[in-house]
Amino acid sequence: MSPAPADELCRKPLDGGWGWMVVVGAHISIGFAYSTPKALSIFYKEIQENLGASSSEIAWISSIMLAAMYAGGPVSSMLVTRFGSRPIVIAGGLMCGVSMVTASFGNSMVYLYLCIGVIGGCGLSLNLNASLTIISKYFLVKRPLANGLAMAGSPVFLCLLAPVNQYLLQIYGWRGSLLILGGLMLNCCVAGALMRPVIAPCKTSNCEPQKKLKEQPNDSHTKLKEGCMKNAKSFLDLTFFKDRGFVIYLIGSIMFIFGAYAPIVFLSAYAIRQGVEEFSAAYLLTIMGFVDMFVRPATGLIASSKWVRPRIQFFFSFAMVFTGTVHLLCPLFESYTFLVTYAVFFGVGFGMVFALIFECLMDLMGNERFPSAVGLVTIIECFPMLLGPPTAGLLVDIFGDYKYLFFMCGSVILSGGLFLFVMNIYNYHMLEKEKPGMDREKKQINVESQAHLTASEVEMKRNPEAEMERSEPEAKEANGVQREPQPENAETPD
Amino acid sequence: MSASWKQLFFQILLLLVSCRHINTKTPGPTPPPLIPIDQLPTDVRSVVLKGESHTEKVELLNPVNLALECTWTGNQDKLPNITGLWRKNGEEVQNSSQTVLLENDQYNLKRVFSIVNEENLGSYTCEFGSKAKIDFVLAAPQIGEVRDKPIVSYVGDSVVITCKMEDTKPQPSTWNWYRANGTDKEQISTAQEPLRYEIKSEERNTKLVVHSLVEADGGLYYCGAVYAISTSMSHVKLKVINFHEPLKPFIAIVIEVIVLVAIILLYEKSQSKKNSAAGENGTTDQTNTLTQGESNGPEESSSMRQRKV
Repeated sequence: MSPAPADELCRKPLDGGWGWMVVVGAHISIGFAYSTPKALSIFYKEIQENLGASSSEIAWISSIMLAAMYAGGPVSSMLVTRFGSRPIVIAGGLMCGVSMVTASFGNSMVYLYLCIGVIGGCGLSLNLNASLTIISKYFLVKRPLANGLAMAGSPVFLCLLAPVNQYLLQIYGWRGSLLILGGLMLNCCVAGALMRPVIAPCKTSNCEPQKKLKEQPNDSHTKLKEGCMKNAKSFLDLTFFKDRGFVIYLIGSIMFIFGAYAPIVFLSAYAIRQGVEEFSAAYLLTIMGFVDMFVRPATGLIASSKWVRPRIQFFFSFAMVFTGTVHLLCPLFESYTFLVTYAVFFGVGFGMVFALIFECLMDLMGNERFPSAVGLVTIIECFPMLLGPPTAGLLVDIFGDYKYLFFMCGSVILSGGLFLFVMNIYNYHMLEKEKPGMDREKKQINVESQAHLTASEVEMKRNPEAEMERSEPEAKEANGVQREPQPENAETPD
Repeated sequence: MSASWKQLFFQILLLLVSCRHINTKTPGPTPPPLIPIDQLPTDVRSVVLKGESHTEKVELLNPVNLALECTWTGNQDKLPNITGLWRKNGEEVQNSSQTVLLENDQYNLKRVFSIVNEENLGSYTCEFGSKAKIDFVLAAPQIGEVRDKPIVSYVGDSVVITCKMEDTKPQPSTWNWYRANGTDKEQISTAQEPLRYEIKSEERNTKLVVHSLVEADGGLYYCGAVYAISTSMSHVKLKVINFHEPLKPFIAIVIEVIVLVAIILLYEKSQSKKNSAAGENGTTDQTNTLTQGESNGPEESSSMRQRKV
């Protein structure tokens, strides 16, 4: 859904130009965010031997890192709303670099948990949130494509980091490799430098447009900014749960995340159990990653097209249904060729869903509420992500057969996709019903907000803060109300 | 009475002297008890060959009298008799050449070898003329998981080198560690340098911990799994480097990051200077869209049209 018309008063997203450099920056930033926890596992055997840790102890590093990355969502969205994307990504890059460098001096597992897990994870969460937010600021028409390109950073960096890590490990051992990896992660600061802030932080229709701001003396300018910023003070905005579309999206994405990672974790082991040799089994994941790399931008391109864009929620649910079906079909045949085919289709499905997962949230929430929404979504997604693989492992242990793992993951994802499909139909139906009422309210509120604009101009010099606090909830409601009927408008032919 | 006391005293003295005599033997490694050859246990390995050659691996732990039996089904010639021969490590075993008769459509060769120590291990081959042969490779259990890449560690750090014997193979009686010294191997003794070396051995794996590494510590380290018959070796290479080595690429990357960030920020500043110099209706993208957006402001339908594009 397009952002509320109130945004349009301030600026129109660029949809090109410097925006593509921002996409490059987001690509790097998201790439490091998703691939680092996985790429670190290459060092685990060495660290295990050197520090005398058990396999489960060492696996905790990745888990803590992923958990911190997802749980840091709300904090990072609050910081992004307050400071903008650029300083946050630079800070995130510095944190990650420092975490790896300090970890290279570590001598105990707890030290590594703190350095890599907590500090590194927090740095990555800052990166992730800020990158997604700035894409929504720079793109509207081509936003799905921009999202697809940026999210493609994850498989690209995984494919790059894995051999680089192997090479570094051979030459420098795990300590030197962590040091150099820390240096590489400082490149997130470069990504942050690319994220030129969009001037005119016009948060609501009641914030002064840029032109008029320039005429004001400096102190009231800063006071105005403060007023706008204070509205983002509550970082855990639970009013999102009243939004029907948000709740539907949340349930669907929880179901996907629960079943998404377990097949990746256990694919090699399953292949080896089928009699495939170790090298070929590892190759399956490489195939999946390679396919993923190309599918994400392709999905973004398809989703930008005029046929799919208005129905992007349905495309998302189709992608989920596809992925679920692929998982369910996997245990049926047992040849290596079939496993390769499965890996290819898994890559396609996985890439499609991940290219769309944040685009759909942007579509639902709009630019205004997206940063806080994504923070809330990531912290809730923390739980299925941490519970999924161990549950799947438990199934394998109980039944001694991997096929139940694939059945479980496939069925969860498939039902999530179907749920989204059905509930979106219901949601649009309900919105269509509510539309006539909304249209009337919209016209009323628009008139009111225009009046407020002129009124606030006058009162600005006297009491900017109070003005912002009073008119903010109304504007928010206006934005929310105006946003929901959009899909209906978009779907009806011109 | 004094005479009996003297007798007792002398007896005790004699006893003490003889006892002391017994105890003056220096304790050292006791040589393995030499079991006479006929008291060794017997084991049999037999192979039936249908083609031209075959290799059989024989895993031995203890000294044994090993009977090796070769049976060959013959080829299309089916000669009534053929020359049979035994070889050890390629060299003919003395007096082993014999004539083998065709019995029940087969040729049979059998010989008993005494495998007592490491010299007796190796490759034993039974040959039928020059047409067929069966290799028996006699060896102690070999360490399968050999680490081919070197372990890299740093000066002043400590390193742990491990060796493991698989669960499928019998466990060794003990483990030894050796360091390569020229072409020889020198056994590492924790007693000599307890601060530097630590050996932790369990049944199937062993760990050598070397503390306070110096660059001279680099090189080949051998772990030996000791069995009654011989010791199986496996080697690991250790590389000790200075901390400055990874620091160089790290600093190079940091410099690259700083340079790139500076370039990007300077470019941005020069762009904005150009635009502020050009006046309020500048050519920057942001202000451009700003004015655009403002002019489109009242038209809400423009946003909807975006969606339908």
